[in-house]
Amino acid sequence: MNEAVIERGIALVGAILVGVTAIVQLRNDWAAHGLDAGLTKVLLGLMALGCVLALLAAVNVLGVRT
Amino acid sequence: MAAAAAQHLSGHDAIAARYRDVDPVYGETRDIRLLGFVFFLLSDCILFSSFIFAYVYLRISAPAWPPFLGGHQLPWFDTSFAAMNSIVLFGSGVTMHFALENWKHLNKAKFNGWLIATIVLGIGFLLGQAHEYSVVGISWTGTTMGASFFTLTGMHGFHVFAGVCYLTILGLQANRGTYTGSKYFGLTAGTLYWHFVDVIWVFLFFLFYIW
Repeated sequence: MNEAVIERGIALVGAILVGVTAIVQLRNDWAAHGLDAGLTKVLLGLMALGCVLALLAAVNVLGVRT
Repeated sequence: MAAAAAQHLSGHDAIAARYRDVDPVYGETRDIRLLGFVFFLLSDCILFSSFIFAYVYLRISAPAWPPFLGGHQLPWFDTSFAAMNSIVLFGSGVTMHFALENWKHLNKAKFNGWLIATIVLGIGFLLGQAHEYSVVGISWTGTTMGASFFTLTGMHGFHVFAGVCYLTILGLQANRGTYTGSKYFGLTAGTLYWHFVDVIWVFLFFLFYIW
């Protein structure tokens, strides 16, 4: 199998797993207060966004070079 | 007193009760140290922003991208491998979050497990980055593309390396009894730093592999 296909497959499965986990953690911590909790929420949200980017790259929606 | 009360609480309430169960001096110092750490992260943010804006400027002002070198256009970076390596780093962010949560819930064994997983994933990301450097086909000198790529990803890689060392030290400290169920600022700072390093990579991944 093509090396790129394997890499994209791993990225796809990983992005779903990590992204969903990050969102669940974000939801669990939503009620937490304080500077560290607020910052953690922002950073977890951005990390979930990163997972979406990786997922879209894995399925060739983003990062397609012509 | 609050610790005794926390025994009758569960979940977040118990964590919040333990968090407050510190002497006033430590509580105030913790807040000041947290603010100082946030300022450190902001300064690091400015450092990366400067290089990112330089890259964006160089890229949009270039007549062609990827630029030409010796009459040949340089190749794009490998999005497939980068997506996979990104997930390794993002996954380490989740494991670090789990590590801190388990520490807060006084589960030291799980804390150690998740922390080791974070360190292993961090090293895995660095090895992936080293592999990419070996096959990328461009060099630091010669083009703005290579210079930007190696400067930004190298600076980020150094932060990951520093983070791996930092988390290793935190793990040793935690197992030597430096931190308790109510006093664990170092672990909070380590987690924030690791999340920050993850988020910087979100931007670098977009700029170099998707844009």
